[in-house]
Amino acid sequence: MTDTLIDLQKITRLYRSDDVETTALHNISLTIKRGEFVAIMGPSGCGKSTLLNVLGTIDRPTSGAYLFANEDGKSHDLARMSEKNLAKHRARHLGFIFQSFNLVDDLTIYENIELGLLYRDGRKGSRRQAIEGAMDKVGIAHRARHFPHQLSGGQQQRAAIARAIVGQPDLILADEPTGNLDTENGAQVMDILKGLNKGGATIIMVTHSQSHADQATRQVDILDGQLVASVAQVL
Amino acid sequence: MLRSTFTAFYRSFTRHPLYALLNLLGLSFGIAVFITLGLFFRFETTYEQWLPKASKIYIVENAWKFAAVRTDPEPWTNGGLLDNIKSDNPQRIGTRLWDHNVTVHMGANSTQEEVLLVDNEFFKVFDLPLLAGSKSAALAAPDNVVMSQPMAEKYFPGEAASALIGKTIRLTDEEGTHDYRISAVLKALPDTTAYKFDFVRLLNRSLIDRTTSWERYGSQRLQTILVFDTPKDAADMNAHFPAFIDRHAANQFGDDKPSHVLKTMVVPLTSLHLEDEKTRTAVYVLGIVGILAFLIAAINYINLATARAGMRAKEVAVRKTLGATQGSLRAQFLCEALLTTIMAALIGLSIVELSLPHINSFGDLKLKLDYAGEAVPLVLAGAFILLVGLLAGLYPAFVLSGFKPAQVLASSRTPAGGRMALRLREALVVLQFAIVIAFFIMGAGFLSQLNHMKTADIGFKREGLMISDSTYDPALTNAQREAIWAAFRNLPGVIAVAGANSAPGDNSLTNNTDVSREGHVGRRPSSSFTIVGTDYFKTYGGTVIAGRMLDPTRGEDIYIRWVNGEQQDPPRGETANVMINRTASETLGFKSPQEAVGEVLDFDDYKVRVAGVIEDMRFRSPKEKVAPMLYLMDRTPYRHSITGVRYAGVPEPVMRQRMETAWKAIAPQVPFKAVSGVENIDKYYKPDRNRSNVFSIGAGIAALIGCIGLYGMAAFNTSRRAREIGLRKVLGASSGKVVGLLVGQFLRPVLLANLIAWPLAWYALTQWLSQFDDAVALDPLIFVAATLVAMTIALLTVGGLALASASTEPGKALRHE
Repeated sequence: MTDTLIDLQKITRLYRSDDVETTALHNISLTIKRGEFVAIMGPSGCGKSTLLNVLGTIDRPTSGAYLFANEDGKSHDLARMSEKNLAKHRARHLGFIFQSFNLVDDLTIYENIELGLLYRDGRKGSRRQAIEGAMDKVGIAHRARHFPHQLSGGQQQRAAIARAIVGQPDLILADEPTGNLDTENGAQVMDILKGLNKGGATIIMVTHSQSHADQATRQVDILDGQLVASVAQVL
Repeated sequence: MLRSTFTAFYRSFTRHPLYALLNLLGLSFGIAVFITLGLFFRFETTYEQWLPKASKIYIVENAWKFAAVRTDPEPWTNGGLLDNIKSDNPQRIGTRLWDHNVTVHMGANSTQEEVLLVDNEFFKVFDLPLLAGSKSAALAAPDNVVMSQPMAEKYFPGEAASALIGKTIRLTDEEGTHDYRISAVLKALPDTTAYKFDFVRLLNRSLIDRTTSWERYGSQRLQTILVFDTPKDAADMNAHFPAFIDRHAANQFGDDKPSHVLKTMVVPLTSLHLEDEKTRTAVYVLGIVGILAFLIAAINYINLATARAGMRAKEVAVRKTLGATQGSLRAQFLCEALLTTIMAALIGLSIVELSLPHINSFGDLKLKLDYAGEAVPLVLAGAFILLVGLLAGLYPAFVLSGFKPAQVLASSRTPAGGRMALRLREALVVLQFAIVIAFFIMGAGFLSQLNHMKTADIGFKREGLMISDSTYDPALTNAQREAIWAAFRNLPGVIAVAGANSAPGDNSLTNNTDVSREGHVGRRPSSSFTIVGTDYFKTYGGTVIAGRMLDPTRGEDIYIRWVNGEQQDPPRGETANVMINRTASETLGFKSPQEAVGEVLDFDDYKVRVAGVIEDMRFRSPKEKVAPMLYLMDRTPYRHSITGVRYAGVPEPVMRQRMETAWKAIAPQVPFKAVSGVENIDKYYKPDRNRSNVFSIGAGIAALIGCIGLYGMAAFNTSRRAREIGLRKVLGASSGKVVGLLVGQFLRPVLLANLIAWPLAWYALTQWLSQFDDAVALDPLIFVAATLVAMTIALLTVGGLALASASTEPGKALRHE
């Protein structure tokens, strides 16, 4: 599968407060193909999180087009889609992984993972199977009935990954997924992500770690809101 | 989806028990107060509405319209009114209700009950359900008697109602002792009625013929009930009444046109219970307290839910990244509000069930939750509760679902809904505390008035006084009456005994007539007069403020004479001495009580001279003005004689026992009943005390809910500011400073609340106090004290939290996020 999944065309994101205008993203054009594992790198405040938020449709670009290709090959401009349809889009096509895990404290691991299926249509019967499958993939099935605070950071992040993949999304967005983890747990998470990528998942990951970025198939560098280079890596 | 909502809801209880408890308890108590006061309101506003065809039943009322004396309409008429109405319109259905004491003889025992003498159309007016007997035959014969279910159970325990039909029961009343045939047994009546219908029998012509002033318009002998098919028919009758009175009462009021001094009207029987505007207001105020208590609880919910919104921001953001729409999140939070409300309603209902017996005894009420009988109002109340719960959930739902995930996930700060939400929450706390403080002030105001009424000088001493109207019993002979008075006088501990037409309590006979100063024309004030025995003032304790007391040894001081067993006024040309009270002296236009002494008054067609003036004695309700009163002395007041006994140094039960023993030795066949002065006058004070008690419960719980809310708000704000507190301490703030900061944040709304509470409470209290003839002045201290109490509660509520938070090590607080 080498067809284009994402086509960003001249994406700009401005933030306006009372009298200051900040350009977080400036004229970014980027295409990402299905099955790629893209690492986004750059110093703090360069706009890489904003880019990830725009990709994740939880932030809307000020100008530019964000074309996203569905299974049927048709592209939709997400920059112009209604909030309601964006929510549907996220439910159908996206999976999020955060630096601080962002598991819901009051829900068990199982229920947290279930959230990844909650806002999608149908498939009630196979839900349990999907959740158990996702838990097996990241190796936290034995923690299903625990609450997030009872788990170590690495376990929590694995649970978060399970939640991101349980709905078999077209795109996994990971915002510094190893940022809060020690080396060993970080390596584990990277192994899981690589495994998912091998299985066909498209992944976009923001990271500060060059060694983790090196494990992606392609690296995108951002500086002051602009694309610096796009390097395809050969593993 | 729904299951997920339930899970989130369930977890909010197990994972945040404090929050959940505060929220749920506040709402439950609010709903409990709402339901209880709703029951009270419904109870008070549905009197007689249970009667079949209640809307067609009307009662005749009379009000005096004299220049100096105007009275509120009262539901009593002369006896002949119904006959006059029927002679004008034979089709008009109606009945008289004439209440009499009746002695029930069962073997050797005789007990006193009440019998209602009625007309043969009684059951056409009051279509009461029967346990046994038939309505058409029940009042067919003059020796038939209809009994209530409680009476049947009291006098024929264990017997089926149908078995009683045809049995005889011996009764003594106005018409002597007769055996009556039980013709029907009424089904027990609900509590929402002023009537008992214990014994009902036909009013006989012979009794009417023996009764004086039967045709005298304006006399208050009995109740006249009429049936009108439409309100318009009743209105037509009211429009027709002035002409009717002028025709039937012609020449009864001297030179005055009858319709000019007497206003007669019909009002729906269902409106009678709350006819007095002040009582109605009091009932409505209590209804409003119920709604306000619920409102406070709803505000709590809004506040706590929005305060917790910050803590749930991350959850909202995550759900949104997972594809939740704003709509689905709103639905989720509304669903949580609804579930909370349903739970709170169930808990509230249990609280009501558990506490109703206590509230009933505390407020002397008969409230009950009647799920089957009151299904419709209960369902409506339930719907209202759910609606308010949903509305309370609306705001938090919109705030929460509006969080932008990118912002929430980017910052470690938890959003609080912005400046607007903060302002709104503060405004809600202000509103809540304003209501709480107003409740405190009103409660204190009620208490001070009640206390005043309890201790106020009402012109006579309530303690050490026994009152018995058993000497009024027609079964007694005059010789027996005199023997009883003599026996009472000889009892150890007794100071004075007097028979009289009037005594503290409502069983007095007072007559109104025209009294004016001799030679004065123009203004014709009316006055009440009453016939009193020789030791009357000694017994009740009236204080002479001018002139002298009447002296039974002086012939000219005795007004009533008895000639051959007949009561007579003094011969023409003779001027007997009388006492008047202070109000009479004022009404008659004397500048001072001293000026009245020795003056001659025109009293009907007679002349009397004022021997002395006594201080007003408040024998009836503190809401009623004391009537101008003339006291006429009678050495042997046989007629309508109520006996008062002044005693000292003996406990009340002992005194009552001694009197009863003395009575039984003289008149064993006549039942004896005596009440204490305190007890007999207390019925006027009781309704206000009861309502005030109900108010205290409602207001107290509302205040508690307010405090729960304040505590919850404080807890969340303090935890939200944990980092700020840590920072301040790193920068060198002392614990004291931090506590001051946190407490100050909450005292400001509480202080602001006073601005709303004071005028509100002032207005409500002035309205309430205006119903009393003898009202206390509003003490500004009440306002200050209520504010201090509210402040103290707020301080204690918030202070502890602030102290705990302020003494946390800054490092821990900074690690908080």
